[in-house]
Amino acid sequence: MPSNMNKPPSRRGFLDWIVALGTMITTVAVSIPGLMYLWPAAKGGGDENVEVEGASKMATGQGKTIQVGSQAVVVVRHRSGFKAFSAVCTHLGCLVKWDQSAKAFLCPCHAAIFDENGKVVSGPPPAPLPEFVVKEIGDKIFVSAT
Amino acid sequence: MGLGKTVKQFFDDRYDTKLAGELISKQAFKRLPPHTGWLHVLGSLSLLLFISQTITGIMLLIYYRPTPEAAHKSIQFITAEVQFGWLYRQIHAWGASIMILAVILHMTRTYFMGAYKKPRELTWVTGVILFILTITFGFTGYLLPWNQIAFWATTVGTESANKVPVIGDWLQYFLRGGDAVTGETLSRFFVVHVIILPWALTGVIVVHLFLMRMSNLATLERVGEEAPLKPEHGIPFFPVHVAKEGVVVMMMLAVLVTLSVVSPWEIGEPANALETPPHIKPEWYFLPSYQLLKYFEGPYGALMGIIGCSVPFVLLLLWPFLDRGKERHPKKRPIAVVFGLFGLLGAMFLGYLGHISETDQSFFGKRYHITLKGWPEPIDDSTDAAPPTH
Repeated sequence: MPSNMNKPPSRRGFLDWIVALGTMITTVAVSIPGLMYLWPAAKGGGDENVEVEGASKMATGQGKTIQVGSQAVVVVRHRSGFKAFSAVCTHLGCLVKWDQSAKAFLCPCHAAIFDENGKVVSGPPPAPLPEFVVKEIGDKIFVSAT
Repeated sequence: MGLGKTVKQFFDDRYDTKLAGELISKQAFKRLPPHTGWLHVLGSLSLLLFISQTITGIMLLIYYRPTPEAAHKSIQFITAEVQFGWLYRQIHAWGASIMILAVILHMTRTYFMGAYKKPRELTWVTGVILFILTITFGFTGYLLPWNQIAFWATTVGTESANKVPVIGDWLQYFLRGGDAVTGETLSRFFVVHVIILPWALTGVIVVHLFLMRMSNLATLERVGEEAPLKPEHGIPFFPVHVAKEGVVVMMMLAVLVTLSVVSPWEIGEPANALETPPHIKPEWYFLPSYQLLKYFEGPYGALMGIIGCSVPFVLLLLWPFLDRGKERHPKKRPIAVVFGLFGLLGAMFLGYLGHISETDQSFFGKRYHITLKGWPEPIDDSTDAAPPTH
């Protein structure tokens, strides 16, 4: 064991240690509120039910892009009813468009194709389009994330 | 006593002006190595472009409004209503591209002349940091006009951030100020572009210049064998080198104004969060990374792509500590020269592929559709009579 391990700490050394510890605590105490301030204040939403304007006038096979919270969502009217998928391509975030004749979602950025159930048909996306919840209340259609 | 003498006396009575004068004179008349030529002006050119960007940026700030409702309109106002507003906006937009080009050329000169070697490793490292800060300037400034291309290029650019392992989602959320690119993102990018980056860049420039002045410009002699520069052999910084810099500044101003008039940047359509325009592509300096990312697919493709795009920057930062050979002259460093040329030409080739991908092109009289990954697919003209796009 080195001999200096047995020496009692000097007054100078102790004060240096206190100053270093104090500086560290102050830095952390000042940084935490600063970092919390920089963290985005509001969540994007998406939990609320958003009504699809003019849903009753949509023809079978027709699609419409709406905003649910901060998310763009494509609502498509099928024979069996309405379905809604996130319009955000899972590759790099561009917005897909519903192609009525091809019955598919097309991404304008890298030519990805998703089928009518949001599954990847071709292109680089690593995952299908997330599905949104559709509620039919009377003749009104509502879409929400959950 | 004249006014000049009175002012001089005022300072002489209070400060050690003789010492300050000696320091300035030593720096101003410092001798540079005999091989110092026009290529050594590229560093000063980068600095002068930064000064130009700062001045034009401050002028644009007077009328620019960083909100989604007002940003695009304020750019239109600057361009159409404010006297010479179009000119300052164009010089700022073109200056950004030319500054990045000047920094790349400056780094290329430094690399091939072996000037990053001992004792100038940290000068190189601070230079690479300046390069990274400069392209970050480009990325953050690109969003500010709040047009369709800017909005969606930023959406795609920040989308890549969530592919970073463990912290990806947080990082993306933090960068955007929320789930998607919104006014919060604009505010963040604005603050980074006009406050944080200018001061960070200024600080690193000061360190870079200090280090460069401390060790003077590199000669082409072997590491550790640089002979002390004899005053009669060197080139005086002032007036000889400064005169060259003056010529380059005048040429740069002429080029900036010419480009602004001949090839102005469009304002574009205002950002629409519900419609992505087709085939959005980033600025030329991001095209190599943009194209490289396309070759990584599958569940871990994006992560591998991010790693692949980071490797060149890490290599650049570490290069002086990896290449420890003594030779500086490019003819005596064949491996480093071939490696550098491979990297440079590879980046240019990838950038070109990124530029022409998803378009129709003509080569040797035949038409091809260039796929997403850059492969040419012949177009049958008998069935498709559409004219080629370039």
